[in-house]
Amino acid sequence: MLEAMIIGFWKTLAWPAFGYMLLGIAIGFWVGLLPGIGGLSTLALMLPFSYSIKEPVAAFAFLLGMLAVTGTTGDLTSILFGIPGEGSSAALILDGYPMSKNGEAGRALGAAIMSSLVGSVIGALSLAVSIPIVRPLVLLFGSPELFIIAIMGITFIGTLAGPSLIKGLLSGGIGLMLAAIGVDPQTGSLRYTFGSLYLWDRLDLVPVVVGMFAIPEIVDLAVRGTSIASSKQERLTGVLEGVKDTFRHWWLVVRCSLIGVYFGILPVLGANVAQWISYAHAVSGLKDKSRAGKGAVEGVLGPGCANNSTRGGDLIPTIAFGIPGSGSMALLLGAMLIVGLNPGPEMLKSRLDVTFSMVWVLIISNIIVAGLCFLILNHLAALTFVRGSLLIPFLMFLVYIGSFTSNNDLLDIVVTLIFGFIGYFMIKFGWPRPPLVLGLTLGKIAENYLWISTAAYGAKWLLFPTVLLLIAITIFTVAYPTIKERMGKAKYERPEDAM
Amino acid sequence: MRVPSTIAILFFWLVAFGGNTELHAQASFYQGQSVRVVVGSSTGGGYDLWARLMALHLGKYIPGNPAIVVQNMPGAGGVVAANYIYAVAKPDGLTLGAFNPGLYFDQLVGRPEVKFDWSKFTWIGSPEQNYVLHYIRSDTPFKTIEDLRNAKEPPRCGSTGTGTTGHYLPRLLDETLGVKTTIVSGYQGGAEIDLAVERNEIVCWSPLIATYFGREPYKRWHKSGFVRVVVQTGAKRDERLRDVPTLNELMQQHKTPDSAKRLAKVILTAATLGRPISAPPGLPSERTKILRAAYAKTLKDPELLAEAAKRGWEVEPLTGEELQSMAKDVVGQPREVIERIKWVMGN
Repeated sequence: MLEAMIIGFWKTLAWPAFGYMLLGIAIGFWVGLLPGIGGLSTLALMLPFSYSIKEPVAAFAFLLGMLAVTGTTGDLTSILFGIPGEGSSAALILDGYPMSKNGEAGRALGAAIMSSLVGSVIGALSLAVSIPIVRPLVLLFGSPELFIIAIMGITFIGTLAGPSLIKGLLSGGIGLMLAAIGVDPQTGSLRYTFGSLYLWDRLDLVPVVVGMFAIPEIVDLAVRGTSIASSKQERLTGVLEGVKDTFRHWWLVVRCSLIGVYFGILPVLGANVAQWISYAHAVSGLKDKSRAGKGAVEGVLGPGCANNSTRGGDLIPTIAFGIPGSGSMALLLGAMLIVGLNPGPEMLKSRLDVTFSMVWVLIISNIIVAGLCFLILNHLAALTFVRGSLLIPFLMFLVYIGSFTSNNDLLDIVVTLIFGFIGYFMIKFGWPRPPLVLGLTLGKIAENYLWISTAAYGAKWLLFPTVLLLIAITIFTVAYPTIKERMGKAKYERPEDAM
Repeated sequence: MRVPSTIAILFFWLVAFGGNTELHAQASFYQGQSVRVVVGSSTGGGYDLWARLMALHLGKYIPGNPAIVVQNMPGAGGVVAANYIYAVAKPDGLTLGAFNPGLYFDQLVGRPEVKFDWSKFTWIGSPEQNYVLHYIRSDTPFKTIEDLRNAKEPPRCGSTGTGTTGHYLPRLLDETLGVKTTIVSGYQGGAEIDLAVERNEIVCWSPLIATYFGREPYKRWHKSGFVRVVVQTGAKRDERLRDVPTLNELMQQHKTPDSAKRLAKVILTAATLGRPISAPPGLPSERTKILRAAYAKTLKDPELLAEAAKRGWEVEPLTGEELQSMAKDVVGQPREVIERIKWVMGN
């Protein structure tokens, strides 16, 4: 195994694989940075080019290198402008953008890049470590288990609610209702489509998220009439501070990375869900809860590492079973077959060196992009000091292009504008936006698996041991803060009693 | 002044209508133009990949060598693109459509959103013809269709949603042979179904034959006998599935009534149509001729064939004329057949 690991490393660094990887990184860098144009669609466009690369390692260095860095550079746009660079970077807006507004863009970027690097290394290592045990691990999670996990995700709405629990729950409920729009996959009936073909396909997450998060911030920027950052600060030290933050909150970063890996392994739930769960986990650990959403660096670190570590997690079932964990993995799977790799047991035996070279591509490409980012970071951070009136046209352009690319439909832009309005008023009246997004993301998944579980097992699945265990974990996670509080009080009261 | 202009007119007459008049006119029509192929799904899907491969070569075979541009117009499973080709695009031979052939069911069951008449599209050709099979895990007690007909507890079969093979084939087996199935619908894709079969959450699925032989884990499962194919829908038995009866054989054997046979034909045509290319209705006949000929030649292009073989795609072309007559056959159905289609398609 060690030998395969070393061979894989040298194969990755060998020419032309390394050159292809650099090319992939160059493309992925911009794709991640620009909102809307996601890793998935770029991968689809780049796929034909990879066919001409005969060497499997070189082809994967190109594709995987590109995909790996989109998670990192997507975070930068979220932090700097409050516009998600990738669908999976939206959670970074919540605390990353307020940091930019406070003049701490450098620190936020440093934290995001460093945590992304750590996340991708942990993701890649999990890929390497879990190769022998992945089969039973994936088979353990049937539809009933996935349903409970989706429910567990929905309970995080409580954590993301902010000061008013009622408003948070209602916001989450609205998200769940919005998830019902479209052709229902079980019976084919049309729900809430109002005669519009666009709504058949359910609401696309990208226009909703871009509208809800970016437009209110742009309006705010225009109203304030200043630059994004309202106060000047020393920038260079900021970046280093962000890097240090990653190590200050080391265990948080590790835990969130593992959340990412885990969600990557499970089918359907990918980086889009993992980022919110990690964010919820990160801010629930804050001592001063009121800091959440106002520029807490923990809120940057959590999703920053999780959306990178999912890439490693995603690859696990793809390589071991030929079962893709996400849309981009389905495309990678196609590429594997074309360059003559057969996913499945073979990848873990005779082609182990190729598998390890994938691990190395994930690590090396992220190290390169992190280095690159650190070089230009100060220039990027300087953008937050540019006068708003110069930035706004450019940002609006990015917002519309970004949402338009999700379906190439003008209605994408209408959806963006509608959710822009909704987002603006939600901020104004103190309604939290993340529960809505989480509800929208998880509603469809929960519905599907509930249906599948019931169709396949009747009510019997409710008594599966794994299901019971997951329900117990869910209840514990929900109740934990209350228990902790009670116990804390008890400790606190005891001396008083003694008095 | 008069003389030169007369010469000019004469010259134009000669150029435009002299010699092989029609071809010249068409050559000058396509010269410097670009032909748009509107794909009804997003980038990376089967229709998209086929259209993009075809687009690389089609231009060579159209006189005037126009550029071919692929544009994605996903939405409502292809209805958006089909409506666009039917009602918005001009019938000038510069716009082609590539969308899911199963859309004619939406027309048959009378969905108000459908703005097209399937038989009136100008059909150009299709690169492949598909058939469906039904497989079941070998560790279940069901060895043949006969066992399935007598099953006490119907087996659980996976599906990604209504209108897909995994949903309509089991229903069709019920309608024609009385095979009962519990359809478990809502999986996100074929790969997720594979996993569910491996986990024994479901035990059967009906994919395309091309899918079954085209990818893992099926190559492995087929070799090890993990699953067993019980029926196939082609007119004759597939080379690789010599022991598996076709639906027609079974319907003969079980004396399926004619109305159900007819239903089977209408429904299975969707898969047979493959990944067809269409043009707006009312395309002038000489341009239809040019496009059909060019398309047929494209599918014989050695480079295209080599690339398709590399991707594991089987090329089995259908001509525009064949598509046209099949399209006409499927849409003219009596009401009782349409009622049954509604049930089979899950409406």
